[in-house]
Amino acid sequence: MENILTQSVVRPQVTAATVTASAQPQPVIQLRDIEKVYQTKTIETVALNRVNLTINKGEFVSIMGPSGCGKSTLLSIMGLLDEPTAGVIELDGRPVQSYSDKELASLRNHKIGFVFQSYHLINDLSVLDNVELPLLYRPGVSGKERRARAYAALEKVGLGARTHHFPSQLSGGQRQRVAIARALAGRPEIILADEPTGNLDSVMGEEIMELLLSLNREEGTTIVMVTHDEQQGRRTQRLIRFFDGSQVQ
Amino acid sequence: MIRHLFTLIWNRKRANFLLVTEIFFAFVVLFVLGSLLVDNYRKYTAPLGYTYEYVWQVDMDPNGQPISRQDATFQRLIQHLKSVPGVRSVASTYSNTPFSFSDSSTDFKAGTKSTNSDFYTAGDDMQDVLSLELAEGRWFNRHDEAAARSPLVISKEMRQALFPNESAVGKIIRDSDNDEYQVIGVLASSYRGRGEFQELQPAVFQRSKTLVDPNDTTNFDRPRLLIRVQPTATAELEQRITKEIAAVTGGWKSAVTTLREQRTTRMKYALAPMGGMVLVCSFLIFNVALGLFGVLWYNISQRRAEIGLRRAIGATGSRISAQFLGEVMVVTTFGLAFGLLVAAQFPLLGVMSIKLPVYLAGMALASMLIYVLTALCALYPSRMASTIQPAVALREE
Repeated sequence: MENILTQSVVRPQVTAATVTASAQPQPVIQLRDIEKVYQTKTIETVALNRVNLTINKGEFVSIMGPSGCGKSTLLSIMGLLDEPTAGVIELDGRPVQSYSDKELASLRNHKIGFVFQSYHLINDLSVLDNVELPLLYRPGVSGKERRARAYAALEKVGLGARTHHFPSQLSGGQRQRVAIARALAGRPEIILADEPTGNLDSVMGEEIMELLLSLNREEGTTIVMVTHDEQQGRRTQRLIRFFDGSQVQ
Repeated sequence: MIRHLFTLIWNRKRANFLLVTEIFFAFVVLFVLGSLLVDNYRKYTAPLGYTYEYVWQVDMDPNGQPISRQDATFQRLIQHLKSVPGVRSVASTYSNTPFSFSDSSTDFKAGTKSTNSDFYTAGDDMQDVLSLELAEGRWFNRHDEAAARSPLVISKEMRQALFPNESAVGKIIRDSDNDEYQVIGVLASSYRGRGEFQELQPAVFQRSKTLVDPNDTTNFDRPRLLIRVQPTATAELEQRITKEIAAVTGGWKSAVTTLREQRTTRMKYALAPMGGMVLVCSFLIFNVALGLFGVLWYNISQRRAEIGLRRAIGATGSRISAQFLGEVMVVTTFGLAFGLLVAAQFPLLGVMSIKLPVYLAGMALASMLIYVLTALCALYPSRMASTIQPAVALREE
């Protein structure tokens, strides 16, 4: 086991939103004794081992650890994309284990925005159509409103002039911005980012990091980011390290 | 969502081109087959104009009897058979009996109107033998023997062709040789001598006077008899009729069949090509279905990451399933749109001589079958797509 390496890094400029969040911590995601075991006929792999973790509203938390230590599995479980083998997940204080597929999908749609290392944009849809995507699964949002919110999200990430381009016509950094705009279009409380700068060079990686930091600072969006980049990890409010499926504290 | 599906399919038009082409060809094949089947069904369900149950057909061979004596023998035979117990009525005609493979037609005109019509010769008892119903006038009787013009009974279609807005009885019509005939009766319905799959077309009956022309040595068209028997008639009556014919005619050979048997034979000839077409088309469609299934399966396996993403951003499993099904329906709609454009040329160019409502029914039938086929082919792959675990799919890329 590694030593306790969890750190909280306070940025030089702390906004009012962050102050409020740290003054009265409001847990948005709580993981209690989470275990995840992948089982085949011959091998049993423990991906997560009794993980206890609380993410507070407005926090920017980064998760670091070597490849295969369970970071992405943890993010999938937080994002309600995967079920733990054991343990309890609470979202806004409510356990989600008993939720149906429909209820979980609705929670993901309304509360969570995802950003992936490989962007996961649909190449046959324009930038605007990609960003609109989460709102397609939200009943009661008109086409006009979808467009307006997608345009606004793209403006926010600085891609207002690229709305009718296709992903293949964009650079890696621009694609990741589109992915962030897609996550923002649904106005989620939480953004889960799985190595968002992993496929980018340092300049573009810095652009994306700045974007995430400003979202957290200015919008108060809760962000949980998996990263391999120590420097980026240190720029977030809390850094959690994982090793062999366990949180190292 | 529908707009989203159309956008997705349109943006993937190159990838979907082969699928659209496959659906287009499947539609055209089904449209042609469907139109033919609908047309034949329409004919099959239209009234024949007569009944064939308990009607026997007797073919005769004079067996060398001099032709000058044959007509008298025939007339004597008809009178004799009428008295045989079990026989209800007997009528003479020629080879174009119901369901036979023989037909004759000629052109008729009345005033400025003209039409081609099937032409039948019938004895005075034919109305009873075939249970023919009249809408106007009367059937032939012995008083017509002395008529100045040959009397005719015409079918409903003939009346509509030559006398659309007036009574036909008493009217004079001429054939292509300019011989005059007088209409004495109009059938209440059509008359389709070639059976259920014959198109509805004009028909006329001329009264048979001399059955065998002594000057005709060609033996081209021998008279036949149609006999309506009692419903209780058995094979014994058939044997007796054969014996009576031999006795009365002095050795004529005869063969008795029922109109029901004749109809069965005719049906086989009509249904065999249709069955063949259905079989070939079924094979083609089965191949199309296999192709569709394979393409859809492949598409879904290629789009696992997209499925994972959609699940992550709020799509339920059933929504994913519905989306893939919807995409297939949109692709099908594109294929059908091209197919319908081609199908619309058939009635415009008169390709198969089928009426417009039949073509429209063929289009509707083919469209429905294609939608059902593609939906069935897409159902399983779509359900498989809905079971893909988002966390796994997102990690794969």
